[in-house]
Parts: sequence; C-alpha cells; structure tokens
Amino acid sequence: MIEVIDGGRWTTIQDRGRPGLERFGIPPGGAADCFAACVANELVGNEPDAALLECTASGPRLRFDVDRVVAITGGRVDSSDGWQAVGVARGSTLAIGTISPGLRAYLAVRGGIDVPLVLGSRSFCQLGTFGGGFGRPLAAGDQLHIGQLVEHEPATAPWPPFHRLPLRGPWEIRVIAGPHADAFAGAALERLSATACRLTPAIDRIGLRLETPGLRLQTQEILTVPVTAGAVQVTPSGGLIVLHVDHQTSGGYPVIATVISADLPLLAQARPGDTVRFRIVDSTEAARAWQRVSGWLDLDP
Amino acid sequence: MWQVAPAGDRALLITIGTIIDPMLLGQVLALDRALQDRRPKGLLGTVPAYASLLCHYDPSITDAGRLEEFIRPLEGTVEAAIPSGHVVDVATRYDGPDLPEVAVKTNLAPAGVIEQHAGREYLVYCVGFAPGFTYCGGLSHQLSVPRLASPRLRVPAGSVGIAGRQTGIYGVESPGGWNLIGRTALRLFDPAADPPVRFKAGDRLRFVPVP
Repeated sequence: MIEVIDGGRWTTIQDRGRPGLERFGIPPGGAADCFAACVANELVGNEPDAALLECTASGPRLRFDVDRVVAITGGRVDSSDGWQAVGVARGSTLAIGTISPGLRAYLAVRGGIDVPLVLGSRSFCQLGTFGGGFGRPLAAGDQLHIGQLVEHEPATAPWPPFHRLPLRGPWEIRVIAGPHADAFAGAALERLSATACRLTPAIDRIGLRLETPGLRLQTQEILTVPVTAGAVQVTPSGGLIVLHVDHQTSGGYPVIATVISADLPLLAQARPGDTVRFRIVDSTEAARAWQRVSGWLDLDP
Repeated sequence: MWQVAPAGDRALLITIGTIIDPMLLGQVLALDRALQDRRPKGLLGTVPAYASLLCHYDPSITDAGRLEEFIRPLEGTVEAAIPSGHVVDVATRYDGPDLPEVAVKTNLAPAGVIEQHAGREYLVYCVGFAPGFTYCGGLSHQLSVPRLASPRLRVPAGSVGIAGRQTGIYGVESPGGWNLIGRTALRLFDPAADPPVRFKAGDRLRFVPVP
C-alpha cells in the first residue's frame, strides 16, 4: 500500500481513458501526456492498461509500506533523474516535488494503482468528476492499493533521451485544417500559422486557452457540433481554446483546425506564458508523426 | 448537400445542416444507424448532435478519403424520419434562481413562464457538453432569452435551464451559462448504469411541474 502524505497540486489517477462514450457526453480522458504515461508503465514492466499517477506542476509525497519498483517520466522532477525504473524501499517516502521543465510528471508503480474501473477505465474524469478511485485529485490520507497488472520484468536501462518528446516551448504544434476552416474569411489559416500565440493560465485537462496578439479572427457561434480532443476553437472574442483529453464532447464555437494526435502530448507539458505556433500539415504528415512516436513504443494507433 | 470535413487525423465530421430541425436530426440518426448496421472497416464509433455526426476511425485501418467514399452515397438513400419515441415525464420543481429574471425579460409572470415551459413536448437533439447534459429544442419563442452574461462556475446536477430556443438539463455539476428555471431529481448520469445516461438524441420528454 502507498499512503498519500501530501497530494501535491493536482494529482490524479489515470490510465488510457474511456474512448467511445462521447455520445453520452463522456470525454475519452486518460493520461494527458499519453506518451510519457505509456513509457512509465513500460519501464516498470506493467501492462499498458495499468493506472498511474498524473502529477501537475508539483507532485505528491508518498509513503511506501512495501518494496516497489517505480518510474517517473514526463516533466522533469526535483527528486530523480526520471525515465528509468528505480526501487523504493519499504518504509521510505517518495517526494516528487516541483515539475519543471514540463507541467506533468507520471509515476508508475509496478503492478499499477488498483482502483475500481468506472465505465471501463480507472481514470479520473475532470469533466464529470468521477473515476480515479476517489472521484477527485489525491489528498492527504488517501491510501493507494497496488494491483497486479504486470507484463514483463522492469527495464534495466534508462529510456533513451532521443526517444523523448520536448518539454520546453516555444512549441510548434501541427494541425490539420478544419472542420470549419471555411467558416473564416480570407487567409485565416495562414494568419493563424503566422501568429505567435501565448498560453494563458487557464489550462487544464479539459482545454487550454490561448491569447492571439494581433490576430483578429472574425467569427460567430455555430450550431452545436460534436468535437474531439485537439479541436482549436475560435471564440467570439477572437481567442482560442484547444480542447484536450477531458474535453467537452460538443461545442458551439467553430473549429478552425485540429491538433494531430502525435502533438497532443506536447500540449500536456506546455505552461502558461509559453509561445505556441500552429503549423498546418496534411494527413500524410500526421500519420508519419504518429508512426515516429509510436515506433518508440508499442502504442495503439 | 452533406459536408464532409476532417476533424483531425482520426475523425471525420459529417455536417447535414446548420439549423435546429427535427428532419435534420432524423437524417443524422438514420445515418448513424446505417453506419452501425453496416460498419465500414476501421470505423470506431460515432457521435451525433443536432445536424451533424462525428465519425472516429482507426487510421491504421482506414483514412478520411475511404470513409468519405463509403458515406457519400448514403446521402439521399438513408431513410430519415422525425424521431418519435414515447414521451418521458421529467418531474421539475420550478424554483430556479433565474426564474424571476426570465419572467421580467419575457414580460410574463413566473407562473406564465412555467406554463409555457411545461406546456409542450421537447425533442432531445444532443447529449453532450458534459456527461448526461441533455439538449432539447423547440422552446417557445416567447421564452427565448440569451445566455447569462457571465456563466456560473457551479450549476448543480438536475438543473433545468433555457437559452435561446433551447432548454436543457445538466447531467452533472458543472459550470454553465444557461438561465436556470428549475430542477429535477431525475438522475441523468449514472456511471454504474447501462447506458450511463437517461436520454439519447431522438428521445422526447415533457417537463411536469411538481411542488
């Protein structure tokens, strides 16, 4: 068992989410940086479906009452080099500490965090406030049980640095035009891709708000449509909202472009004040980008 | 003509229309059923709303072009009908915090607002936004009021709201900008139930005032 001494800023239990329930208003969810989460499970030898801790900005303090192998990936933490399987001795305390660069760090424990499945997943859903064992982020006093979702032996070597995604801006985020690119007058897409957008403090698992200095996209609300993670919505005031994994499942703002799957994990690590530039790509480049990242891992398409 | 546009590298958005219309919803639901009856290779799932359908696909099996080729010929061949299920009663206590303001804006007495809201059947056009949120169309012209200038940070589950020509029920506690006129004890989202939500697009409901 693991006891939470301090929950950290916003630590939740996540796995690969619950895609396919959007018609009920339920977002796909799962680890916001699905790549880092997947590597953490791989390093400790877990099954890909094992749940782990997603730490945000500042991680939790945990007391282990068993010997365990763990791995920390994603944003860089004070407490360890990360990206490798390490032992934590029974009775010892693990303090994740501040996360920087990057915003989210993942702590996988060999065997996985064992909480009940809700709608097929152990993930906490921010939009619906359910799942993740406690229906909320971790708090002091919570007790985490360890599961048995083990697939192979822990890795003996650190994860290669050249098989990791960047953790610092400025960010180049690749998008596919549409579905509502036609709703904008003139060369809106070109102007968007020429703009250095800036992340506001309003960023979470649901979506990220961006300021677009100098870019005045003229638009109005549209009839509500179903939306996906990565949708770049343009609000009537001309600002942007990029939807992320716990996104609302429908929306009434036109979507000028959609972030490709391979670049969604980058937005999980971007911080307020960071610069974001969008680059328009086609589906061939999107597929190539995904193959590159998934080739490092045995990721599902 | 249906518009087919990519929504990223794993989804395609089929837009059938741009207005709230039972016939357009009928087409969306007919297309949805057709794709479930005869599922094209690589289609993972669909999400209907009002006058559009989002199709999630597995890019290692199919692509946007092939999926569009499959869907295009269905235009005009799927049988669309105005949805007509049985009408579900939603027992509603009309004590919402915005009821007095809505009455002022619509030049009605609060009782008049209630009478107009409860006096008709509504068609569910979409379950979306947040888990279980039920969007209904067909609100009386007279009750049409804009969204709140600044949304509430917390709207309790079961709240009944109105905005424009729509009325809706919040499935979970969430932020929200609709004018709240009442509340129902009916549970719209239950993660342990199958399906986890009470309503789906195409259902019909009626608000029944309770003390």
